[in-house]
Amino acid sequence: MKPLAHVLFALVLAALQSAILRWVGGGAFSVALLAACIVYLGLHGGNVDGSVGAAGIGYVLDLVTGSPKGLMTFLAVLLFVLARAVNAAVDVRSRGGFALLSGGGALVISLGALVLTRLTSAPESAPGIGLVPRMLLEAILTAAAAPLLYPGLRRVDRLFHREEHGLLR
Amino acid sequence: MFALLRRYRELILVAVLLVVPLGVYFAHARKPSERSKLDRAILWLTTPVERSVGWAVSGGLRSWNGYLALRHARETATELLREVNLLKMERQQLLSERAEVERLRKLLGFAQESPARKYVGARIVGVRLAPAGLQLLTIDRGTEDGVERMMPVVVAEGVVGRVHGVSAHTADVLILTDRNSSIATVVERTRARANVRGMGKPDACKLDYALRVEDMIEGDALVTSGTDGVFPRGLPVGKVTKLERFQHGLFQEARVVPSVDVTRLEEVLVVTAWERTAEILPAAYAPGHEQ
Repeated sequence: MKPLAHVLFALVLAALQSAILRWVGGGAFSVALLAACIVYLGLHGGNVDGSVGAAGIGYVLDLVTGSPKGLMTFLAVLLFVLARAVNAAVDVRSRGGFALLSGGGALVISLGALVLTRLTSAPESAPGIGLVPRMLLEAILTAAAAPLLYPGLRRVDRLFHREEHGLLR
Repeated sequence: MFALLRRYRELILVAVLLVVPLGVYFAHARKPSERSKLDRAILWLTTPVERSVGWAVSGGLRSWNGYLALRHARETATELLREVNLLKMERQQLLSERAEVERLRKLLGFAQESPARKYVGARIVGVRLAPAGLQLLTIDRGTEDGVERMMPVVVAEGVVGRVHGVSAHTADVLILTDRNSSIATVVERTRARANVRGMGKPDACKLDYALRVEDMIEGDALVTSGTDGVFPRGLPVGKVTKLERFQHGLFQEARVVPSVDVTRLEEVLVVTAWERTAEILPAAYAPGHEQ
């Protein structure tokens, strides 16, 4: 149930993101809030529910970005693994660290999609390096917005947290 | 074998979650894939959220533009209203000045028509047109400016009157519609002589001493004859109207509509010197007379 809750949260977030970006900037820039969700799962989720949740969010990303099926799912799980690896090496607890990782995660997803799409696309329609500055901006904006998502993600987590009453009394 | 699988099940799950989507991607990357019913259903779920956000944002913008952004509108409107009033006043002043310039240009043109005459321009500073007394205009020129009694006062449209009383800096002009004013005129068309006398009201005079036998019709223009020794020749005085010629008597009667509307005058010219013909000058002042 927990991965499903995260996927639903990601779905609502994706809708909010697209609606807000329509009014703010009108598409001049973008953010990747779902990358922050995946990073959160990598930092705070378990191996199983986290990876399944990340795959689910990747599926949602596939849907909302209109990319070929499997691309974003793969990249989401990859980001989950990377976040987990970083968390194993460095104990990330602060919101600043979460923001930094979210920005990096957004960049990983964008660059990964760029590389994989270049591999499979015809040369004339392959995405170019010229998109990188836009990806960097997206990563920065994602890092800036990620701390705002943190309370929401914590709240979703708490829905499935079992308190054992009486242990401390 | 199962123990191995159980031991690394989480790792295997993650690997599967990595490999399968990648395989799906490479399998479908080169051909466009259609969205399944599940995809469409999931995307449909996002629609209410997007609409709600759109509704909230547009509502917020409407509120902002319709109410909050207008919080200084009253002050702005007041300021603009003040500015509009100032501009209206300024425009009115400019229009007034333009009219004045037109009038002065006309007067100047009239003054330049007869180089032999000398004029002093004056502004009307007072009006006394009460029916009980004399019909007088006060001008802002007096003896200091060369104005003397009996000098003719004119505008481009015609005769206004003559100087009646004069002080150092002002003068009273007895206008042609005063009962005591009588101006020697001729009918411009036939040169028939008659006097124009005021009736005490500013819009009408009457014709005096117009012989019954003289050729005169309504609408005839009357100009100064110059024979009264006060007004130069040829200045418009008025037009004949309500002409009555009786079977008996010496004279015919008529009303005269003055050429000048004395109630609307603002500037006038005082004729200080003009060409006097020998025939109208008293013998003592005639050229060649030796005392």
